Amino acid sequence: MNKHTFFEVVQLNKSFGGLKAVNQLHFDVKEKEIFSIIGPNGAGKSTVFNCINGLYQPEEGQIKFKGEELIGKRPDQIAQAGIARTFQNLELFAHMTTLDNILLGRHKSMKASILATVGLSFKRSKAAKEELEHRRKVEEIIDFLELEAARDQFVSNLPYGKQKLVELGRALALEPDLLLLDEPAAGLTQEEREDMIFWIKDIRDLLGITVILIEHNMQMVQNISDRILAINFGTQITIGTPEEVLNHPEVIKAYLGEDLPSTL
Amino acid sequence: MRNLKTTYFEDLQLFKDGVHLFWSAVLILALFTLPFFVKTYYLTILNLMAVNVIVALGLNLLVGNTGQISLGHAGFVAIGAYTTVLLLKLGVPFIFAFVAAGVVSALFGILLGIPSLKLEGPYLAIATLAFGLAVTTLIGRMDFLGGRMGMNVPKLQIKWMGLKYDHALYYIILSITIIAVIAMRNILRSRIGRAFQAIRDSDIAAAAIGIHLTRYKLYSFGLSALFAGAAGSLWALYLGFINPTLFSFILSINFLVIIVLGGLGSITGSILGAVVLTYLNLQLENVVDIPLLGAALYKFSEVFMTTTGIANVSWVLTGFILILVVLYEPLGLYGLWLRTKIFWKRWPF
Amino acid sequence: MLGQLIVSSLVVGSIYALMALAMSITYKASEVPNFSQGEMAMMSTYVTFVLLSSFGLSFYPAMLLTVGFAFLLGLILEFFFLRRAKNPTPLNLIVITIGFQLMLYGLAGWKWGSEQRQINLPFSESKVIVQNDVFALTELNLATLVIAFIVLLVIYLLIQKTKLGLAMKACQQNVNASKMNGISAYRIMAISFGISSIVGAIAGVLVAPLLTLDPSMMWDPLLKGFAAAVLGGMKSLHGVVIGGLLLGLIENLFGFYISIEFKSVVAFAIIVLVLYFKPSGLFDKHYVRKV
Repeated sequence: MNKHTFFEVVQLNKSFGGLKAVNQLHFDVKEKEIFSIIGPNGAGKSTVFNCINGLYQPEEGQIKFKGEELIGKRPDQIAQAGIARTFQNLELFAHMTTLDNILLGRHKSMKASILATVGLSFKRSKAAKEELEHRRKVEEIIDFLELEAARDQFVSNLPYGKQKLVELGRALALEPDLLLLDEPAAGLTQEEREDMIFWIKDIRDLLGITVILIEHNMQMVQNISDRILAINFGTQITIGTPEEVLNHPEVIKAYLGEDLPSTL
Repeated sequence: MRNLKTTYFEDLQLFKDGVHLFWSAVLILALFTLPFFVKTYYLTILNLMAVNVIVALGLNLLVGNTGQISLGHAGFVAIGAYTTVLLLKLGVPFIFAFVAAGVVSALFGILLGIPSLKLEGPYLAIATLAFGLAVTTLIGRMDFLGGRMGMNVPKLQIKWMGLKYDHALYYIILSITIIAVIAMRNILRSRIGRAFQAIRDSDIAAAAIGIHLTRYKLYSFGLSALFAGAAGSLWALYLGFINPTLFSFILSINFLVIIVLGGLGSITGSILGAVVLTYLNLQLENVVDIPLLGAALYKFSEVFMTTTGIANVSWVLTGFILILVVLYEPLGLYGLWLRTKIFWKRWPF
Repeated sequence: MLGQLIVSSLVVGSIYALMALAMSITYKASEVPNFSQGEMAMMSTYVTFVLLSSFGLSFYPAMLLTVGFAFLLGLILEFFFLRRAKNPTPLNLIVITIGFQLMLYGLAGWKWGSEQRQINLPFSESKVIVQNDVFALTELNLATLVIAFIVLLVIYLLIQKTKLGLAMKACQQNVNASKMNGISAYRIMAISFGISSIVGAIAGVLVAPLLTLDPSMMWDPLLKGFAAAVLGGMKSLHGVVIGGLLLGLIENLFGFYISIEFKSVVAFAIIVLVLYFKPSGLFDKHYVRKV
């Protein structure tokens, strides 16, 4: 483990047609760190996540997780390797219950074959035993995120804040080593956002999971991050501690625009 | 009063409580004693319903649960039927011929699945449609399969406690159908079934949690074809004669109508759809014999349409019902059933 | 011989191209492959037949009325059925068109199905009017080619050069933005179905003399048209036309040189093969959902 950096992105390039969405991006993340990526809309933040979890194939560069190259692998292989993620605009399994959504997070840890699952309704069957064992783990996650009341409801009927939690719960059910959170607080109320900050810290402190997050809320980013990477037009502006990055003149310019009125 | 669950296993067991168990037992008992009370003709109808239930279970798994479309399921039924008849003629015992029908059909399902993996919507529709068409055209050309003329299905040698042949056949079909329902229910409740539904709701998220999309789509095609093949095997058995025209495009559409009418993604829906549509089709074949309505329709046909084409009323009605279901009850008969249940639970409030 | 084969392929192919174009117009507007397209064309063809034989109309007025009827039929499908679906999935809409197909099929069978009929167009299917060393062309063949060409041209001009075409394109790209700019998306949708139905009806009338007029006469042309549209890429107008001509060519060449019985199967097999490498057809871009 010590030989390799925990997670490393090396000279990453990804373009769509003529547009360079990610340009020579280079950063690393240490184990048990909370690492934030910030940048204006369209800076290429989500594209970085999509490259990490295998949805996009970058043209150049390396993405190394515990020394293992991720580029060229399918999303499901990357999930198997221990990386889980959430999505900016929620990708829940809308016609299923909260319980089933989170149980799906256990999918890769379960082994029952099609033939074995036919015996599911028999208590002694392997499939039933396995199912119950994983059900217990899922119930722990439901307890952790306080989703008891939503357990048997269809997720499409839940309020937005709860849906975000279900997606977080599903990612946690994978028991990942690295968790990618794409704007976890977007669209949440003040109160829900504070809870989210609390949970993300717990995820790192109690579960020992490394977190990379994309976020627009600067207060939250400042509060939660160990280090921050600021990007614009797919290239790095700066990287460092929250104080360094948020006071960086380029970052302020990128967020507030070129022509800062003098009255401000 | 709702019973509180005390163990997680209660979510997995077949019967959720004593009442559920009791009524299921009554229904099964009734179905098994039926041959002693009714004419053979009615058993034939039940056989047809049961076979349609099995195909519907498989098709619903693919369409309703996995979110793929198939307009060629009659092809899989044909493969199951022909495999069975061929093996029976070679002297293979039925039980092996039946298993082989399912397996061969499943293999063809996977074979069709491979080029279809990347396809969506109309592109998948045309690929499956092409498959259905190819199967019947090819069978029509193969002399050892009877060609266009078709072939007779050998009768089974059944000697069980002096049971009549028709009764024995009914018991075989009924038992297999019950097993198929339970198997499908368990598969759908398991990690496999959940993975199918995950692909339907969001393939991107499904891949991101570690589901191998290619593999699971092939599983779905394979399982769906397995059920269709098994149904085809039974169909051949009770029809006693098969030819390629039985397995036309219209039959594929008919299966699709069954699951839409019954309720997409629901086992209860597959059963209700198969039973109701089979009954409806039989009734509408002799639409003039229906009291009152039949006479009125005849009069109407005489004046505005033709009396010789009156059987076509069944198409008009099937089409109309299909549209009504999509517009007003997208969960189909299953949705209706759910509403009735809720209504009685809350009654009189 | 090859010359004759190619010319015959073009004739058949232009019928497929018309059906494919009809499918494509509505698919572009609604993302629904309209399975009732064939039956709508069949109904319209029966209307031509009735006007010609029972009412004794001459061909051109009869065609004019048929076009009107076909347009109305398209409006009915859109206005009374497709538009009524609440938050429909693509599968829901496909099922509605299948339902409409069954209804039309049943109605036609109920009204006319018991007898085989022959439609008489002013173009003879036996009189050869072009004859040279390479190929021969009957009156009907020539009429089919000319009419198909005119229809394709009219549709092309309609979509590229008129305000209506611009509105149709706008609605395909962004329904909400179109609505905000004062386009009635519903009306555009209905008109798309109407126009598509007219194109199908013309294909129906042209193909009818080659087949017997019965309720299932459009099944094969519909399947081929659908297949051609898929081959070209459902959303590419020039793609589907090329797809239609290509399909006609594949079928005829295979049918002549190898086996006439398997020509349909092979045509479909080739399409499935093409789709394996180009999942959205030859001329359409494959669309990947963004997250």
